[in-house]
Amino acid sequence: MSNRTLAGAAVALAALAAVPALPFMSKYYLLLAFDALLFGAIAMSLDLLIGYTGLVSFGHAAFFGLGAYATAVCLERKIVSLWICLAAAVVVVGLYALLVSYFATARRGIYFALLTLIFAEVVYTFFRYTQTFGGSDGIQGVPAAELAPGVALDTPLKNYYLVLVFLALAWLTCRTLVGSHFGRVLVAIRENEDRARFLGYNVTRYKMGVCLVSALLTGVAGALYPGRSGFATPDLMLWTVSGEFIIMVMIGGLGTLVGPVIGGVFFVVLQEKVSSYVDWYFIVIGLVLVLIVLFMPKGLLGFRRVQGFAQWRSGQ
Amino acid sequence: MRAKTLVPVVLALAVIALGAAPASAQKVVKIGDLGSKVGVFEGYGKYQTMAIQMAVEELNAKGGVLGHKIEIISEDDETKPAPAVRKAEKLILQDDVKLLIGAVSSGSTLAVMDVTKKHKVIHWNSVSCAEFMRTTKFHKYYFSNQPDSRMQATGLAKYIVDKMGKKVYIFYTDYAMGQSDGRQFKTALEKLGGDVVGVAGAPLDTKDFSPWFGAINQANPDVLFVAFAGTDSLRLMTQLHSFGMTRKYKLAGIDCFLLQQDLPAIAEPMEGFVQLAHFSPYNQDKNMQAFNARFKKRFGTDANIMAGAYDAVLFWAAAAEKVGSFDADRIAEAQEGMCLDNTHIGRQCIRKEDHQVVMDMHLYQVKGGKNLPIATIAGKDSIGEPMVGKDPVEGFTWEIKKKN
Repeated sequence: MSNRTLAGAAVALAALAAVPALPFMSKYYLLLAFDALLFGAIAMSLDLLIGYTGLVSFGHAAFFGLGAYATAVCLERKIVSLWICLAAAVVVVGLYALLVSYFATARRGIYFALLTLIFAEVVYTFFRYTQTFGGSDGIQGVPAAELAPGVALDTPLKNYYLVLVFLALAWLTCRTLVGSHFGRVLVAIRENEDRARFLGYNVTRYKMGVCLVSALLTGVAGALYPGRSGFATPDLMLWTVSGEFIIMVMIGGLGTLVGPVIGGVFFVVLQEKVSSYVDWYFIVIGLVLVLIVLFMPKGLLGFRRVQGFAQWRSGQ
Repeated sequence: MRAKTLVPVVLALAVIALGAAPASAQKVVKIGDLGSKVGVFEGYGKYQTMAIQMAVEELNAKGGVLGHKIEIISEDDETKPAPAVRKAEKLILQDDVKLLIGAVSSGSTLAVMDVTKKHKVIHWNSVSCAEFMRTTKFHKYYFSNQPDSRMQATGLAKYIVDKMGKKVYIFYTDYAMGQSDGRQFKTALEKLGGDVVGVAGAPLDTKDFSPWFGAINQANPDVLFVAFAGTDSLRLMTQLHSFGMTRKYKLAGIDCFLLQQDLPAIAEPMEGFVQLAHFSPYNQDKNMQAFNARFKKRFGTDANIMAGAYDAVLFWAAAAEKVGSFDADRIAEAQEGMCLDNTHIGRQCIRKEDHQVVMDMHLYQVKGGKNLPIATIAGKDSIGEPMVGKDPVEGFTWEIKKKN
């Protein structure tokens, strides 16, 4: 990682850390900023799969939801330590991700996507119908987690800084990974999986590895969610949520890491604002996505490379 | 991360500032209307908005509340807890509403109760009927004028056992509301000597109910009790009718099974359907007729059970006037035990212990697409004892008791 990259990251981190000091930042906007950064981090972790490895996961909502349930179950049982909640999420999501990735990475393309979707739907249905976890209403009204005994993460500001630290660590993890030999093999798999295999790389193991990293980062993000919202419900694992994660990655820009963060922030803010004015807000979001895919194929991050209509028609 | 990548991040976050314009100099007090504006419960959300709008217009015509013009902020909760919580937070923390009415779905309302409790905002529920809201989930700022599962079961179960038949099959929508109704009705029916011959739950927004019909036919009940709402009810009744089951069994259901406006379209499947509710435009009660006339004049359509949202605004406004403040603690205390004469069904009082409005209830039977009254049950007879902090159906089991 170059010094210039690190310096840029430090500036971005400092800018985001200063966001709560902006004059208009009410508690509500801090909560919205929490959501924006959390979903941005999830989109970034998904970018490892879609953007760098060429694997489209339609099941990331299950990792997110499982992480949320792990925390919610702990908090509901008065186990309020953030670290225990995170550890529980890592174990639960890790085991599930091992299972999913073992089977899904044996296939490629649409079959990989379908397997991740099917596994996620099974998990969703399990939680939807299991009364131990609150059935369709999920686990609600959980207390705030504690960073240390007596230090509760009970304000929007504390939660904002928590998610900011997570975003920074997640970016560092992803950036280190894609800049390493491991990351270059992932790109090789994306470009030509057969050739990567002929070169002697155990492609399946690489794919499993990146699936695990991506799933764990998403799971940890999920583990932070009940602390802010007070609940975990099966709706968090619905396939439409996985679809939203993919949209965030595409809006931001595939294979860029920072792009999906921007895509996540953009999507959350757009959804929140538009839905206050238009009932069928997904039409607006869909239209934005269509325009971005057609005319900004590099996503928001590539906003300098906006294509003209003629260029798009010619397929250049 | 390069500096140029920072620009869109900061820009996107800056978009958050949209809508954060300074408050108008005009004295305004905002109230929040949270409900389903699209989807399975769309009708309830839209009529909730209309009822609130009517109350606000009437109050504003008289000078508002404490000299403040009332402004409604409406939000769609998508009938899911997560958006409901986000929107409730937006209404409270950003819009600074002093009263929140909603949500429609019980699952969403339960989640929103945590938000109104945390931020100390007066919260009225006028349609969700899960039993936990005035028992284990109850909090100081929560009030309800929706007859919950327990009230409905107390009122309707006796009629079912006495007049419709003892063998009852309970079919419910499998989330907070339906489960709550199923529990309460099973408990009440068994207590009254009824024989619950089967129970089944179908997920919210089920498109095809036929997989459950075999079990219902096998149980061969006298009465099929259905706890569904919205478009689920429409689909269920249409499918039951096409399988000949509306003629085979007597049908009874919860108060929000269908709105009056839905009935003419499925008058034939609904013929003879019995339910317990607090309002019908076909009830000749003079208060209901007077309210319905005003509602119809304003919106060009009959009112329905969502009229409770109208009363919620009136109770809150009266309490604010009484204490001379919008302070939630003082309004909550003022609302406890408060009685109003000008609600949509005349005089109503809020019970102090669990903040439930004591409402006279009516049994209605659908005839020719109209909900016609067949009996009245006094509010004090259906409300049941206050059970704040207690499980109203402790020890409940879905197990079917075999009778020889």
